[in-house]
Amino acid sequence: MARFVLNRVLKAVLTVWIAITATFFLLRLLPGDPTTLMVEGDMTPEMRAALLETYGLDRPLLEQYVSYLRELLHGNFGISFRQIQPVADILLDRLPWTLLLAGVAFLLTIAVGIPIGVSAAAHRGRWPDRLLQGFGIAGHALFVPSVAMLLLVWLGARLGWFPIGGAIDPDTRGLAAYLSLAHHLVLPVASLVLVQLGPYALTLRTNLIEVLGEDYIRAARARGLSARRRLWKHGLRNAILPALTLMGLQLGTLVGGAVLTETVFAYPGVGRLIYEAVGQRDYPVLQGAFIMLAITVVVANALTDLLYAVLNPRIRL
Amino acid sequence: MTEPAATVPAAEPAVGARSAWRTFFRQPSGLLAAAVLVVMVLLAVLAPLIADEPGGTSPDVLRSPSGGHLFGTDDLGQDIFAQVVWGTRTSLLIGVAASLIAIVLGTAIGLASAYFRRVDAVGTVVTDVMLALPTLPLMIMLAAIVNPSVWTLTVIIGVFAWPEVARLIRSQGLVVSAMPYIDGARVLGATGWRIVTREILPAVVPLIVVSVLLTASRAVISEAGLSFLGLGDPDAWSWGRILLNAQRSGVVAIAWWQTLFPSLAILLLVLAATVAGMRFNDIRDPRRNGA
Repeated sequence: MARFVLNRVLKAVLTVWIAITATFFLLRLLPGDPTTLMVEGDMTPEMRAALLETYGLDRPLLEQYVSYLRELLHGNFGISFRQIQPVADILLDRLPWTLLLAGVAFLLTIAVGIPIGVSAAAHRGRWPDRLLQGFGIAGHALFVPSVAMLLLVWLGARLGWFPIGGAIDPDTRGLAAYLSLAHHLVLPVASLVLVQLGPYALTLRTNLIEVLGEDYIRAARARGLSARRRLWKHGLRNAILPALTLMGLQLGTLVGGAVLTETVFAYPGVGRLIYEAVGQRDYPVLQGAFIMLAITVVVANALTDLLYAVLNPRIRL
Repeated sequence: MTEPAATVPAAEPAVGARSAWRTFFRQPSGLLAAAVLVVMVLLAVLAPLIADEPGGTSPDVLRSPSGGHLFGTDDLGQDIFAQVVWGTRTSLLIGVAASLIAIVLGTAIGLASAYFRRVDAVGTVVTDVMLALPTLPLMIMLAAIVNPSVWTLTVIIGVFAWPEVARLIRSQGLVVSAMPYIDGARVLGATGWRIVTREILPAVVPLIVVSVLLTASRAVISEAGLSFLGLGDPDAWSWGRILLNAQRSGVVAIAWWQTLFPSLAILLLVLAATVAGMRFNDIRDPRRNGA
């Protein structure tokens, strides 16, 4: 178990390191150097040289890379071009909102996906199953902003059931603040869950049907266990672990979806920040946001795998 | 290792072209998907004949759908129908071209990993890393730095869509390279290059056809996402850009037609490509027929 944990942590660190290194060199390889991105309009050669020196960009590439890594390790993500403020501060301000949004969507997809997947597997070939197959395929074709805008127009603007933007009503205190938070969260979370749910439940169903064909399930049947017990107790228990890993693999897509949902609902997370930074061409913020989201996804993925190890006795040994 | 749950058949049955098409069209969904794809291609090719390129302003602002403006107009008085038709060009072009880039890269890396042990060590790590990272924020960062145009978007989307292809092709390639006839070719003195290109590649071609369609549908979604965030080609109409315009001008709650029609276009195209991919998969793997 200790070895498994160590391996998994090393893999996560390696992934983040590759992501950081690749972005660093990719950005340097692209046409133009950072100074052309910082200043609009014409620059005198002296101005350019002074800028390059200030930011250490006149030094050898490898030296720049090492100092970039050192700064990152100290939590220095650079300075935003537009809001003269450290990128790290801006990101840390926004990250909790994205974690809340993506985290709730993640848990809800699993919580709703499991009963749907199980009932489709139990009624294989009949209408719950057919419905899920259609929904599962359609899920791949759903574009997050489309779903988000549909919910916004229909449940938000037309019926007025939910707020159409923001994350919380600033005038609320105490319990009312929590309720307002939950109220604002409904539509953004629903947009993400609607897109993720179908494909997720469909894969769960396929896993489960495979498990239900195994010998020990037939043995359980021979022992006279009811269909319900075989399905929920013996089948689901073995299908749920791959389902957890699967959701871990979906994290990258989930975060991408959060960027789009936050944009539609003006939700104050990293995604909305990215949308604003794109409009202002604020490159340090975009780079920092990518690294921050990459770290989030990799850490969450590692945690999912560790949870898998805790739940799976074959690895725990 | 994180292999896909999908089962890959061990052997490729020889399927005649005619019976393959019959399998494809046996289910109405195959026929429907093919019809939608054909209509989309026609719309893209014939766009100038169907509608004038949208531009400028007109006094007919925010009209709901009617005989004169089938899909209504936006806050500048531009016809949404024309925008959707012209957007088909960008979506299809980027979808197909990005998919081809991803297929070439993914197939090369997947096959090399499947046959050459040493390549596999590096290839698998790189593929796993790419799959673990959030691709959209990565593409956003790069698209923001280069000048957004149809071609730069195509390259960016294509270059980050290959890992799924590589994983699929590798798992199938591993099955094929373990077969006796590959050993036979090696005994006869065939070089690694020859075995990969002449023996293994033909065996995975059906899988490549399936992945072209599935990768193209993911590329269409990626393009729409980047355009929606303001990273599209400013000179080309795209479905994501129509949605962005609705979002920016703050008319989402009033002008439902400005978001509904481009959304339906994305849904239809991606659904058709996905279903067509599934039907091709049925041809590839006859065991799934009628399932």
